[in-house]
Amino acid sequence: MSRFLFPRWSNLLLPTLLMVGAVVPLYAVLFVAYGFSPKTLEVGYQPNQPIPFSHELHAGQLGMDCRYCHNTVERSGFAAVPPTQTCMNCHTGIRPSSPKLEALRESATTGNPVTWIKVHKLGDYAYFDHSAHVNRGVGCVTCHGRIDRMEVVYRYAPLSMGWCLDCHRDPINNLRPPSEMTNMTFDMQSLSREERESLKSQFLIKPSEDCSTCHR
Amino acid sequence: MISIPRPLIYIGGVLASLLLIPPFAIGWIRETQSTGRPVHIFWDMDMQPKFKAQAPSDLFADTRAARPIVPGTVAVGEADLDPHWSEGVTANGDWAISLPAQFKDVDKNALLARGQERFNIYCAVCHGYAGYGDGMVNRRAQALMDNADGPPNDTSWVPAKSLHDPTVRPQPIGQIYYTVKHGVRTMAGYGSQVPVEDRWAIAAYVKALQLSQDASLQDVPPDRRAGLKKP
Repeated sequence: MSRFLFPRWSNLLLPTLLMVGAVVPLYAVLFVAYGFSPKTLEVGYQPNQPIPFSHELHAGQLGMDCRYCHNTVERSGFAAVPPTQTCMNCHTGIRPSSPKLEALRESATTGNPVTWIKVHKLGDYAYFDHSAHVNRGVGCVTCHGRIDRMEVVYRYAPLSMGWCLDCHRDPINNLRPPSEMTNMTFDMQSLSREERESLKSQFLIKPSEDCSTCHR
Repeated sequence: MISIPRPLIYIGGVLASLLLIPPFAIGWIRETQSTGRPVHIFWDMDMQPKFKAQAPSDLFADTRAARPIVPGTVAVGEADLDPHWSEGVTANGDWAISLPAQFKDVDKNALLARGQERFNIYCAVCHGYAGYGDGMVNRRAQALMDNADGPPNDTSWVPAKSLHDPTVRPQPIGQIYYTVKHGVRTMAGYGSQVPVEDRWAIAAYVKALQLSQDASLQDVPPDRRAGLKKP
């Protein structure tokens, strides 16, 4: 008489399934938490720009101040990408026929803008204000990283809401004297706790966590 | 000892190893840069049918959403009614030799400090921090001009003037202001990059910088002379 009998190893199926059932949800949660995080998806975005402009050369080797080109940053919410004329201040004379500057020449001839690709893009419901931050002790490097070492700019910070709130809740470690705003190499550790506190009171820094601070 | 069929062990092993791939992939993505457009998982209202500053638009041939100002437009408060303030010339057409009346109540030390900061941003790249025409951009351009195989890519660079040049030093403050705004010879104008108050601050600082390199002991206030080092 042949009757089907489950083999002895099938007794292991139940504990194995229980184990898998315990591990897989945990795995899925961790996968979403880390995999879908802006730290994974957004940080490191380094698009090829129409002109291979090197911040490493201009801001690094030549030591040009950020504000030479992004000159609206202290007065406006938006740190403007410079118009073609700003490039042409120097590049009418320096390497004007370089193949790398093809898009710049075309823009200067036609009057159409260079189609730079935005690296630091926020959700359209968020209204970040550069002038409110840079005039009150938050340096460029804090959010943009060592731009002066980037041959091609990439996204350094996640720019997520949680990341913003980290600093809004405890800004003291990200404050520097306004004279060091564009200094990429300023040593934040050189400030004592008292100096940071005095910067905080000097600039009346009470970062709001209200929704309407950033969302309208 | 229970004997589990070999294929099951293999399948289980393969599945378990497959589970290791995502963590490594996530770690890899986090540690490297990528040119690809970021994967957008939660769209929420991230992309709204509206334009923020400098956003592109297909509606216009030049792809700008922000429309350039129509030529001839004068914004409120920006009419150039005061030639001293806006161009650095007096009513009879001479270069102004003083700051415009708008600075009457402004702290001059603060103005010079502002001018120094602005000079170091916009001018020092070519003229150098002390104004001797030895800024880093100027040096690099000079190096290109001295290239053994000739200047690359049609580079042609007129060296930036030293601000202590005998032809520059006597220039009145109004002329310095005018040069900052409109440029001179191969120097581009900075009128669009530097607002009018800052142009005056720069002009004032340039005059102070020139004096600092061309001063005698008599120019130093008596109580400060003791602190000076003998050359």
